[in-house]
Amino acid sequence: MNNASLHRHRRTLSAMFVALAACASVPPPTGQMAVSRAAVANAAGAGAGEFAPMELKSAQDKMERAGRAMTREDYAVARTLAEEAQLDAQLAEKKTQAAKAQKAAAVTQEDNRVLREELERKNK
Amino acid sequence: MKNYRVLSALLIGMAGLAACSSMPEGNPALNQARADYRNAEADPQVAQYAPAELQLARSSLDTANATFAKDHDNKNIDHLAFVAKQQVGLARETASQRAAEAAVGAANGERDQVRLAARTREADRATQNAQDAQRQAEASQRQSEASQRQSEASQRSADAALQQAAAERLTAANAQAGELQARQVAVDADGRARALEAAMADLAAKKTDRGMVITLGDVLFDTNRAELKSGGTRNVQKLADFFRQYPRRTVLIEGFTDSTGSNGRNQELSEQRTASVRAVLLDNGMSAERITTRGYAEAYPVAGNDTAGGRQLNRRVEVIVSDDSGVIAPR
Repeated sequence: MNNASLHRHRRTLSAMFVALAACASVPPPTGQMAVSRAAVANAAGAGAGEFAPMELKSAQDKMERAGRAMTREDYAVARTLAEEAQLDAQLAEKKTQAAKAQKAAAVTQEDNRVLREELERKNK
Repeated sequence: MKNYRVLSALLIGMAGLAACSSMPEGNPALNQARADYRNAEADPQVAQYAPAELQLARSSLDTANATFAKDHDNKNIDHLAFVAKQQVGLARETASQRAAEAAVGAANGERDQVRLAARTREADRATQNAQDAQRQAEASQRQSEASQRQSEASQRSADAALQQAAAERLTAANAQAGELQARQVAVDADGRARALEAAMADLAAKKTDRGMVITLGDVLFDTNRAELKSGGTRNVQKLADFFRQYPRRTVLIEGFTDSTGSNGRNQELSEQRTASVRAVLLDNGMSAERITTRGYAEAYPVAGNDTAGGRQLNRRVEVIVSDDSGVIAPR
């Protein structure tokens, strides 16, 4: 083993140590997991299954993968996936709310149109 | 050993290639996030309804950009880009929701307005109907008033006709009454005339062209004197009674003598004798303005003066009674 190769090995080793240290420094994202799970549940409860099925599905998948990452104690990946699942769930819920609001607006406007027509007829 | 060296060099080279290949295009996830953000930023609905959410997306995108600038290979970039992209999506959906909610609010307001307008129209129509009814009622009122006036006019004309009829009856009655009165007057006149005739007859009056003439003969005066004897005075008193009953009549007293004696003496005597008669009439309440006297001496004899009887007839006083107008034709 020559000097240069030793040097290279030392480098690789130090990188591995850094990676290990990083792993060891990441605590399990228990809080984030709970928050994300709640967000996914809220979205599903709000009717995202109907109004934003793709976003909800994505949130649910990421949540599942985050759970698996938690199990194998890959906490950094778990946190990232949980965060993304939360964002997906939030977007799904917001989309659902927006769609419902638009529906309500359309219904109200239609009601108005009908009311106006009715009154027009009545006034004739 | 050599193999190992080649392998590690190859690995490092591959890593470098991988890094290089991503450099010119940048990170696809980050590019997507940037494009999404630009679109959202250009959307006025997002700017109006979700400025805070857009700001949050902006800071996430800034973080991702800063991380990428420092280290293109940072494995966290995809995640940061994803966060920014999802936050842009949240801003969009929030804006959409709020816009829809605003639309619902506006529609509700509009519905209220439409209903209000409808109620206003209804109220207006009710008012209009009420006014129409009022006008109709007024028209009926006017019509009935007109009928009333017409019937009043008819009533009045009927009344007028009745009045006219009454007036005509009254006129007829008056005419009848007038006729009766006239007849009565005629009867009265007849009566008066008869009474006058009787009175005149009593006074031995004669009807002449100048009126009734009563002659007081010489026997009623003392001979050659002016004073009336008592019989003459009684006759003149009867005459005064007559004039009291006929107050419109006046009297002309004319004195005459015979041709015996001087003309001056005869004139004097004739005047004195008329004055005596006048005095008796005045004594019996006759007013002086109704009495006129004339002395004619021996003029206008009624008989010849050649006999004593003729001369006695000529010595006389004639009392001429006027008609009802008080006029006596002159001699």
